[in-house]
Amino acid sequence: MESGLNIIYNVYHTPPLEFPIAVYFYLTGLSAGSFLLSTLAYGFGIEKFKPLGLLGVSLAVILLILAPINLIIDLEQPMRFWHLFPYLNMKSPITYGTFLLSLYPLNAIIYGYFMYKKNYRLTKIFGFIGIPLAISVHGYTGFILALSKARALWNTALMPFLFLVSAMVSGIAMMMIAVAIKQRYFSEDKHIHDNIIFDLGKILNMTIFLDLFLILSDILVLQTADTEAHHAAMLILTSDFSPMFLGVEIIIGSFIPLMLFNIPMFKKRIGFQIAAAILVMIGILAMRYVMVIGGQSIPLS
Amino acid sequence: MANIRWGIVIDLRRCVGCHTCSVACKSEFLVPLSVYRQWVKVIEKGQYPNVSRSFLPSMCNCCENPICVHNCPTQATFKREDGIVLQDPHRCIGCKYCIASCPYDVRYADPMKRIVQKCTWCHHRIDTGLEPACVNACPSFAMTFGDLNDPESRISKVLASNAVQVLKPEKDTRPHVYYIGADEVAMRAIGGANRKEKPVWWLWVMGNFVKKEHKG
Ligand code: SF4
Ligand code: SF4
Repeated sequence: MESGLNIIYNVYHTPPLEFPIAVYFYLTGLSAGSFLLSTLAYGFGIEKFKPLGLLGVSLAVILLILAPINLIIDLEQPMRFWHLFPYLNMKSPITYGTFLLSLYPLNAIIYGYFMYKKNYRLTKIFGFIGIPLAISVHGYTGFILALSKARALWNTALMPFLFLVSAMVSGIAMMMIAVAIKQRYFSEDKHIHDNIIFDLGKILNMTIFLDLFLILSDILVLQTADTEAHHAAMLILTSDFSPMFLGVEIIIGSFIPLMLFNIPMFKKRIGFQIAAAILVMIGILAMRYVMVIGGQSIPLS
Repeated sequence: MANIRWGIVIDLRRCVGCHTCSVACKSEFLVPLSVYRQWVKVIEKGQYPNVSRSFLPSMCNCCENPICVHNCPTQATFKREDGIVLQDPHRCIGCKYCIASCPYDVRYADPMKRIVQKCTWCHHRIDTGLEPACVNACPSFAMTFGDLNDPESRISKVLASNAVQVLKPEKDTRPHVYYIGADEVAMRAIGGANRKEKPVWWLWVMGNFVKKEHKG
């Protein structure tokens, strides 16, 4: 390109957001996904998903208590985190998060409590309140990246949707594993009732297709947009982040699970379904990593 | 104060690449090792005997439309009426979102103070009637500091009578650091990427399609 170009001196500051932020995005995604699955039975009344109810909401609450810990330890001044409330700036996407991260777990706890008490009317009400909260608690993390306009890989309106869909993907996969573990080790007959796992597998199959479609649209546009966007696309396709993106996220995390869900030889066997779910969870963690760390590895100065 | 809008013009035809501005800045603020409020990017291009060196002094652009202020969740980063973007050290929680948002990589997490810091255009000096330390130190008078709203100021005259550029105008941050005679490659961050292209393992699968495009 520039023949004989040499950078003699320049300053690149350390990328600000590190691995804990990627883990935070991963955990909120799992939490939102499992909450939404629990409302299938208790909000929308789909009876066959009843076993997901209490399990889903408990996981949602635990994960959403763990998730913000990652945020706080990543602050330079963790003891000042309360500044987020009195000094808030309504324009900042982090402020949306401040409210959502406070309201969503509270609502989820109330919802879980009524479910436990078998008060189905109130469960349903809090379930429906929880749906937009769960969607926004993960969707807003997409806005955090998208509104940070310096970084070409993040600055796209697709980001919230990419995050939401991948949250559903990882959430469903986690529920498949959780249900299997619960039935195998903590139920009375110690036996996995495979119906629910196969049903979840079918939903997961569809969501992976949707996720791949979003990723494809993102990359096609990045490739042909401006210089930085093109560079971002190349970074994940051909350079440092391609093993993580193509290898782990796309091949291990999407293509192999799709094969396990769709090839007749594998799709009847519960073991393969669970294996696919585990691969999917690994793939989405890689996606968070590529987005957060990869997005910042393109020099700005 | 009300009608002042500060700005800086850097005339790169005069810049000799001596880094005096960066040294003045380091000593003005005791900036720790490994981070910089102001620095001079230096590039070299061409092949002998047709070669040239270009410099690009880099600092906070005190943008008219600063994305760092928009995104700071605690209003720790704010814009003064005279356009200088500052950082409240007591309010900043160090979430580093502003660093992620600034398109010019001028912000850093201070390893000693454990908050985010950046070039402030030496507002403490400006408020007492002095120029910023870098402008003051430049031996070749490459930098001009002054009030953009005053048509009689030296900076307004320099801006009116020269072709100027700003960094990354497409980001709509509307910088107030203007450059005269800046080199296109020096201004472009990607042109500055030191990234080597490695042979790619999966190209066996995908053919040569993507790789070819990247050469363009
Ligand atoms: S250059 Fe960066 S830090 Fe300075 S005002 Fe603009 S966006 Fe903010
Ligand atoms: S690091 Fe400080 S100044 Fe930057 S966005 Fe966070 S609170 Fe605001």
